[in-house]
Amino acid sequence: MMNKLKHFFKKFLLWEILVGLKLTGRYMFKRKVTILFPEEKTPLSPRFRGLHALRRYPNGEERCIACKLCEAVCPALAITIDAEPREDGSRRTTRYEIDLFKCIFCGFCEESCPVDSIVETHLSHYHFENRGENIMTKPVLLAIGDKYESEIAKARETDAPFR
Amino acid sequence: MIEVEIDGKKFQVEPGKMIIEVADQIDSGIGEIPRFCYHKKLSIAANCRMCLVDVEKSGKPLPACATPVTDGMIVRTRSQKAREAQKAVMEFLLINHPLDCPICDQGGECELQDVAMGYGQDISRYNEGKRSVKDKNLGSLVATEMTRCIHCTRCVRFGDEIAGMQELGTIGRGESTEIGTCVERSLVSELSGNIIDLCPVGALTSKPFRFSARAWEMEQAPSIAPHDCVGSNLNLHTLRQKVMRVVPRENESINETWLSDRDRFSYEALSSDERLLQPMIKENDEWLVTDWPTALTLVAEKLGKIAQEQGANKIGALLSPSSTIEEIYLSQKMLRKLGSNNIDHRLQQIDFSAQDSMPFYPGLPMSLEDIETQNTLFLVGSHINHEQPIAGYRVRKAALLGCSVFVLNPADYTFRFPVQDKCIVKPSAMPNVLAEVIKVLLEKGIEEPVAGLRELVNAVQPSEFAHTLAAALLTEGKKTIILGAIAQNHSHAGHIKQLADALAKMTHGHVAFLTAGANSAGAWIAGGIPHRGANKKNLTHPGMNTQQMLEARLSAYLLLNVEPGLDCANPLLANQAMSTAEFVVSISPYFCHKVASYSDVLLPSVPFSETAGTFVNAEGKWQSFKGAVQPQGEARPAWKIIRVLANLLELPEFDYQSCDEVYGELMQKVAENKADSHFSLSIPSYLPQTIVGIERLTEWPIYRADSLVRRAPSLQETVINDSPVARMSLDLANRLQLSADCHVIVKQGEGEAILPVELSDTIPDNTVYIPAGFGLTAELAAPFGAISIERSDS
Amino acid sequence: MPEIRNYTLNFGPQHPAAHGVLRLVLELDGEVIKRADPHIGLLHRATEKLAESKPYNQSIGYMDRLDYVSMMCNEHGYVLAIEKLLGIEPPVRAQYIRVMFDEITRILNHLLWLGAHALDIGAMTVFLYAFREREDLMDCYEAVSGARMHATYYRPGGVYRDLPATMPQYEKSGWRTEKQIQELNANRQGSLLDFIESFAQRFDGKVDEYETLLTDNRIWKQRTVDVGVVSPERALALGFTGPMLRGSGVAWDLRRKQPYEVYDQLEFDIPVGSNGDCYDRYLVRMAEMRESNRIIKQCVQWLRNNPGSVMLQDHKITPPTRTEMKNDMESLIHHFKLFTEGYHVPEGEVYAAIEHPKGEFGVYLISDGSNKPYRLKIRPPGFSHLAALDEMCRGHLLADVVAILSSQDIVFGEIDR
Repeated sequence: MMNKLKHFFKKFLLWEILVGLKLTGRYMFKRKVTILFPEEKTPLSPRFRGLHALRRYPNGEERCIACKLCEAVCPALAITIDAEPREDGSRRTTRYEIDLFKCIFCGFCEESCPVDSIVETHLSHYHFENRGENIMTKPVLLAIGDKYESEIAKARETDAPFR
Repeated sequence: MIEVEIDGKKFQVEPGKMIIEVADQIDSGIGEIPRFCYHKKLSIAANCRMCLVDVEKSGKPLPACATPVTDGMIVRTRSQKAREAQKAVMEFLLINHPLDCPICDQGGECELQDVAMGYGQDISRYNEGKRSVKDKNLGSLVATEMTRCIHCTRCVRFGDEIAGMQELGTIGRGESTEIGTCVERSLVSELSGNIIDLCPVGALTSKPFRFSARAWEMEQAPSIAPHDCVGSNLNLHTLRQKVMRVVPRENESINETWLSDRDRFSYEALSSDERLLQPMIKENDEWLVTDWPTALTLVAEKLGKIAQEQGANKIGALLSPSSTIEEIYLSQKMLRKLGSNNIDHRLQQIDFSAQDSMPFYPGLPMSLEDIETQNTLFLVGSHINHEQPIAGYRVRKAALLGCSVFVLNPADYTFRFPVQDKCIVKPSAMPNVLAEVIKVLLEKGIEEPVAGLRELVNAVQPSEFAHTLAAALLTEGKKTIILGAIAQNHSHAGHIKQLADALAKMTHGHVAFLTAGANSAGAWIAGGIPHRGANKKNLTHPGMNTQQMLEARLSAYLLLNVEPGLDCANPLLANQAMSTAEFVVSISPYFCHKVASYSDVLLPSVPFSETAGTFVNAEGKWQSFKGAVQPQGEARPAWKIIRVLANLLELPEFDYQSCDEVYGELMQKVAENKADSHFSLSIPSYLPQTIVGIERLTEWPIYRADSLVRRAPSLQETVINDSPVARMSLDLANRLQLSADCHVIVKQGEGEAILPVELSDTIPDNTVYIPAGFGLTAELAAPFGAISIERSDS
Repeated sequence: MPEIRNYTLNFGPQHPAAHGVLRLVLELDGEVIKRADPHIGLLHRATEKLAESKPYNQSIGYMDRLDYVSMMCNEHGYVLAIEKLLGIEPPVRAQYIRVMFDEITRILNHLLWLGAHALDIGAMTVFLYAFREREDLMDCYEAVSGARMHATYYRPGGVYRDLPATMPQYEKSGWRTEKQIQELNANRQGSLLDFIESFAQRFDGKVDEYETLLTDNRIWKQRTVDVGVVSPERALALGFTGPMLRGSGVAWDLRRKQPYEVYDQLEFDIPVGSNGDCYDRYLVRMAEMRESNRIIKQCVQWLRNNPGSVMLQDHKITPPTRTEMKNDMESLIHHFKLFTEGYHVPEGEVYAAIEHPKGEFGVYLISDGSNKPYRLKIRPPGFSHLAALDEMCRGHLLADVVAILSSQDIVFGEIDR
């Protein structure tokens, strides 16, 4: 009887609606959980797999030796490499292209690279304005690597014990 | 037969077989026993120890490659003991192996990697420094990285046993063992590329292919070698519509597992910068790029006009002997329907007197494998190792099995097999030597096969060689006279052929021709000759042969992949004929400046890798292949070009939709009317006189033989590639007061060329060797005959 | 007499409540559903066929993209099948990590489902709240694998990397004071495990909040109670699995019935419903989130106390570490071969299934002994659920289709494959 009465009043007074409103009302006065992008950014793990880059050794020599492991392991066939002996006889790429429309950002290329050349950087904010820009050429990849080398190196160092 | 048990399976085998051979048999059901030094075509070295297996009642594991099976033997290839032994060997092999996989061309197809994955352990226990070995320079074909070598000695044994040249050897012992050439020098074997395939690691890799592709990314397409009449089977490896390399395709009856360097490395020319990629027409002496309809319509109009106004017999066609049988068949069909029989593929020949007595097609009257079973081989005018390297290897196998090889040559070539006796004479004396042998045979009481032979040879004085050879030819067994390029291109080729026929008849032997190009046999079958139509069809009015066509100064020439100055026997005459012709059409995959200078239309065709086609090899085997890559640019297969051209000329019965249809039509003809290969024996009416003064000897050097190989840069850089020289004996040079560093003016008829002198003891006296196939020597006339030489002061 | 015809309505493929690319052809009599005919295939990417042309490991990334709201669970099914064929078992620590991330994934999935379900029915707030919690879990995904969604983290023989020792933190910005930043970073001071634990501590409270907003809400109940009722018998006959089956009162859960990894060592309950209507399925999923949270807490505890390897130390299958690869020959060769050719899997066929957030996710794999699957067949749970849509919708009103559809928790990535 008591229960029925309670139930009736609760129903009549929109009790559960009011409880809900109390909850949402409480959040109204709390600090927002959203952040102000792009001035603020969410934290990024050193393992983050973003835009690709090709790295160089500290002496300026490009790391990539055209072993084509990344090309072989790429599940999406996004990487295209042409290679030939450079003037000094070393094995180098003449073409290194990543088609970002094909890439699935699985990180296998970085995993496979025996010389830490191809890496997936922390960069996730990029866009294309023209047709064909989705294909990242070797100079573009090297330029990204050059620009963010310190961040890239730091992230690899942090994660080194786990790889 | 004895019984052995391997991995629980019982086998009945012949005694003397090694365990690994039994396990390697197809359907043995036994997984591969790991190996490095063992190779089925090479002798057993048993030095890598990788194939250790567990043999019951043996205290220690035994090498499967060097342990003959015995009755009741029980072998376990996967037991704990065997696995441990294999693991240990693998570990040892890797101690000194450099961490090169990522930059090594062998990566992905490396036996060391595969065996390490399958049988080795997964982590190393050694961190000592690794040894390093200095690289050797082995020439332009084979790249070395000797630190990677595991000393299996396959390459050393290949040189000793297969190539017949001890080029590589092991130097040093233990850890300081090295493979090398002792004195640094390039490889000269014409089969040297095979050590790339043999090397189980990345120590020997292909130089032209270096770093350009990985094994896993290429597609494999079967094809046939386009250079010699052996028709080696090969695989083209392509990547993104480009042929990246060529590897042999195993065919035990033709090339076994080998491939000559020419077939292996000529692929470089397939993507040469000189490829002609668009149809071009000449207007006011300037080349204009045009489209196919314009170019073909122009050709059809011109040819039609000439045929109508001057008669069809003013049109002639020169075909490359390496064209496919479909291309040749369509060319001759077009020309003959137009009314002209002037068609020929025998570009290097000058004497056609015996052409009517030729068999259905010149080739081997036996299979290639049968060469090995011959008891006596007589090579006439043949540099077989350079002309048909794989046939040369077959002769070597025969010689090693006890066959006596005799040689009659105008130069003392180095052969890769032991020669019983040789006769080196001036080119013009060659028919006489054959006559001498015949005379000896007649003296020994052999009946003359044709009346008049005795009279013909009566005057000659048999040499000692003639006696030895005659004796050998009279012994029991199989004998074959092989006529090589020099015998066929000789100015008395007819005499040589007829005398050889007689000789063969008298000794119950065979005459074999090893012809130029990949498809001479096919050209004869398909009618690419002036005196017979397709399938030996008799003609009422035979056409002109190459020489006649050039001499007759026709109004129009159709060139199918021919560069007359380099391919024709008489380049001077050829160039003149082309220059004076009213209309020259060149269908070729390449743009050649010389050809362009006198052509009116250039139609881009494709090399063998981009078209379907068929080559008929010397044994008469029809081998078809498909295009491995798309035709480059606007280039189109020649059979399609000719088919459309014939349509535009409004000739009937040119409705082919595919290459197969052309093949089918020709095949049907050949099948319906089984050609009679019987021919009557005839003898020459006289014996040619030996030239008294200096005479010329010509060969198309191994890497100048056709338009494809001439554009393969790596082959051009090899040491065995000839250069345009005047090579002569020291005696002759002394008499003419010449030395090795001077130049000479060579005069031959109207032709004149300035060439550097090279001294060699391989050339007989009063003979000067001048190779064909070079721009410099294209200023000269016929390949044989008298020449004059004087010192050039410039 | 005018001609009376049923009205045919195309619901989707662009309708926001059609859950992606479902094209649902509805036959209506007035507002009553006479027939519901789902058309599928608009998101077909031939994952199964593609897998046949790649070495085994290269398809892991494509499993993420099947049911793209429960990424790691899909990987788990595939990896489990390979392991079964290879006859290997990952280290226990890897198993715990997998279980923990499976449960994180389950919460991720159910949160998305909850938000979308509520949104479809008309409740906006829950969607935002659910995504707030999802953000933290996505951070866990990113911390461990480097990607917020498509992790490619599980490998045959374990997981790619161990859990990171630090969590990335918010950086200073002009928009927040030092103190505010500190607050934001409060749970990011320790390792990933600490972060997960702090999440687990507060998550039950969050579930309470969702329930406050929905469970007793009269509109919610009006829209879900007695809608889309499936009897236990029909549920079994229709091939239902997961919450769809449990909502109908059948206590079937692969984690209990056919325990894989370390589920048999963990404590959790299987919630079941009684009516088999949309409301019951809602309740089951809410309870499942609490159970998952319980499992996560246990895993965190175990993982804290048991450091160790997370990858099988057999380099014939799993690649060596980078240091090994750069320093010794054997490792380099194995690295090279594993990343180009991959490993060869013994001949045979196998079926491996896991309790996926949506039901039984099965992978049927045939190997011919080569380095690529001969055939891969994926059994997606959503497929049989969607197939029952017609039966569940018949006789209901048009508006109920949305409630039923979203209660099925349909994701087209797995249905179309």
